[in-house]
Amino acid sequence: MEIGRGSSTTALSPQITEKDQVLLLAKDIVKKFPGVVAVNHVTYDLKAGEIHGLLGQNGAGKSTLLKVLYGIHRPDHGELYVYGRKVFFKSPRDAREHGIILVHQEVTLMPHLTALENIALLGFMWRKWGARFKKTKFKLYIEDILSKFGIELDLDAKVRDLSVAEKMLVQVATALSMDARILLLDEPTSPMSPKEVERLFDAMKRLKARNLGIAFVTHRVNEALEICDRITVLRNGFKVGTVESRNIDAHELVKMMLGREASEVYMVRDFSDIDKVLARTREEVPLIELRNIVTKPQSPVEVPLKNVSVKVYRGEIVAVFGLVGAGKTELGKTLIGLTKVVSGEIRYMERRVKIKSPADALRLGIMYLPEDRRSEGLIPGFTVVANMDISSLKEYTKWFMVIDRRKEEAAGNDMVKKLNIVTPSLYVKVPKLSGGNQQKVLVARAMLTKARLVIFDEPTIGIDVGAKAEIRRLIYRYSREQGVSVLLLTSEVDEALGLADRIYVMRDGRILGEFINKNLDRDTVLKVLVYGK
Amino acid sequence: MGSEEPRTNFLRKFVEFYQTHEIAKPLIPLLLLIAASVALAPHYFLAPMNIKVILMQTTPLALIATGEMLAILMAGIDLSVGSTQAATAMLAAIITKSTGNLGLAVAVAIALGTLVGAINGTLVTKLKIYSFVATLAGLVIWRSFVIIVSGGRLIYGLSEYSVFLNDYGTYIPMGFLLALAVIIGVYLLMTKTTFGRYIYGIGSNEEAVRLAGVRADLVKFLAFTLAGALYGLGGVMLIAMGGFAVDPWSAQGNELNAIASCVIGGIALTGGTGHPLGPLLGAAILTILTNILVLLGVTELATQQIFVGIVLIAAAASLTRGLRYVK
Repeated sequence: MEIGRGSSTTALSPQITEKDQVLLLAKDIVKKFPGVVAVNHVTYDLKAGEIHGLLGQNGAGKSTLLKVLYGIHRPDHGELYVYGRKVFFKSPRDAREHGIILVHQEVTLMPHLTALENIALLGFMWRKWGARFKKTKFKLYIEDILSKFGIELDLDAKVRDLSVAEKMLVQVATALSMDARILLLDEPTSPMSPKEVERLFDAMKRLKARNLGIAFVTHRVNEALEICDRITVLRNGFKVGTVESRNIDAHELVKMMLGREASEVYMVRDFSDIDKVLARTREEVPLIELRNIVTKPQSPVEVPLKNVSVKVYRGEIVAVFGLVGAGKTELGKTLIGLTKVVSGEIRYMERRVKIKSPADALRLGIMYLPEDRRSEGLIPGFTVVANMDISSLKEYTKWFMVIDRRKEEAAGNDMVKKLNIVTPSLYVKVPKLSGGNQQKVLVARAMLTKARLVIFDEPTIGIDVGAKAEIRRLIYRYSREQGVSVLLLTSEVDEALGLADRIYVMRDGRILGEFINKNLDRDTVLKVLVYGK
Repeated sequence: MGSEEPRTNFLRKFVEFYQTHEIAKPLIPLLLLIAASVALAPHYFLAPMNIKVILMQTTPLALIATGEMLAILMAGIDLSVGSTQAATAMLAAIITKSTGNLGLAVAVAIALGTLVGAINGTLVTKLKIYSFVATLAGLVIWRSFVIIVSGGRLIYGLSEYSVFLNDYGTYIPMGFLLALAVIIGVYLLMTKTTFGRYIYGIGSNEEAVRLAGVRADLVKFLAFTLAGALYGLGGVMLIAMGGFAVDPWSAQGNELNAIASCVIGGIALTGGTGHPLGPLLGAAILTILTNILVLLGVTELATQQIFVGIVLIAAAASLTRGLRYVK
């Protein structure tokens, strides 16, 4: 029996690749989803013997582009070339036939099988149904490959017992066993410890030396600089540019990544009232205060908070600015009782409080709107109006718990008008709305609760530019008119500058600096983010 | 779907009704089944006594199916149904025998059902045991309870329960009317109140409902408790409709009938969708199906069950149409 596919089947994945030969070219790719253009005329190429990074924030389109390259999504426009030949991928199967393997962000292995079994079944034995599983022979074959690339792996260990980096290496070995020449790595480092990252990078360098092409998706600037030869920066679905990593530094790269929005999109506030708001921080006690909060992560992806202190005063808009993985979401979830606080305290109007659940938080008037609208925010089976008033349903009842439909409808109509929500009716299911309008439904949910502090976690991610400006304006007006405090968790510096009264800068679970947003220079904020203090 | 455009206006309206009203999923098959039954055996099927038998047999099943629905709508499941029903029936029978007080027996039966439901709810919300496992434990424990308290003996001659069979000449037994009233109560609870809204929300996206500040654990606890109360009433009806007798193995396997009634009634096992009256109609479909098979001479239980299985498959397939995959 023959092992390995390059020798047996297709002429499309030639064995010999020269350095700098273009392995993969994606030309002018466009991918649209309802309400948003995820990838907008992006061209990306990958040469043999290079690691080409794809850098961007959440919603920049990097994962979508990778999925186009792997045949998961079909592009609405644009062409794909592999080894100079034009190809159409109908499914990942076609991509794999051409020697392209995607290594997933969430590890997609069979945890109860051994590394050897995983590599064989997902790799070179893929689609060979009913063939005999020759353990000894397979082991020799895989060990041969691993030693060629200098990867160390215990092949007899069960995958569930391996570390995150080792699991990633199993996936890489799977690809190598199929003679894949093109590896697509989708944010492999986000759940890894620094040591594990180093191990993966070592392996990547060896693969590179063997003339493989590696596309490396990340949102971490320093990692991209360390491992990549070239870096393509994406923002809001557009390609900002491709740079040689030896010609650029972290500061420049962060600037490219964050970009600069047109000021009418982000500058939604005027500064005439800022002194009045800031005066309260001297005269009043803070509405909510976090004092030296330290948390213990409950999962490998959760960022621990390290001695975080944040104050929010009445009617104030406070932004916490930091890139993905800075711990902003964890900060927000601490305020609704969803992280494990080991030390430090939360004070509400100077009084020490224990918040154990979102329901507890809501009783204090604290409302959190999650970043991940689809999985944590919206209730897909509910109508627009039911999604709006789920947090305040008790306000719309008569006789104990009977819902007063008329009152509910009036409140819903009021919100549709105020927030300019585009919907055929209050009674369509919420997934029918566009991303921007779905986000407005969530904003309406917060407004209907009459909360005293609303935490907006990335309120404008994944929605189009027009809706972005609109939602920022809504948040600003809402805070000013109702005197509600807002804690804005954002990875866009312009959003913080255009909306907030005060700005905290956060990285790796720490607060690096605090600014009053008055004559504040964008670069000052960015420098603190990149270099610390 | 685009190719088979409905040709007439009526058909288009019909399709629209089917797609926009969740109650249509069980209602239309039920009407078709009734029409077919009338066509196949008009004299037997429409005989008043046969109709009364169908209503009698539907009653306990409709009650437990409606309880089961509460668990399934939250994307959970309740397997303790049959055993709970038997336990409540057995306890009611023992109390009736020893005190002769029907009201007390019914009250205790419902109280026991409520207690079982509360235990299920506590296991799921406090100990965080999957409802499948928690209620599977209930299934064996409560069956053992029945066997122990009954001493393994059949209790019969419970003629007090004939009040539930009185029909005052209408052929509609009082027990059925009582069950119908309770089920309509649950329907109103599910469609008109915050409680019902939260249950549907938990089934649709529990994470979002929790983050919205709803006390989801409390809702879940109450839902399981209410389900238990319905099983208790189902236990009482089991005595009334089952020949005034309870044996230690009665109601065995009824959890499967309850789940089947829900599925046929349009309650998706993934939670969050389905009409609250669906299980009642589903129970009616299952009962009529068995009834017409008997009338047609298919008296063997095994053969009947094959037909029931086929109907279940058809119903389940129609529920998951449009999904990319299921587990």
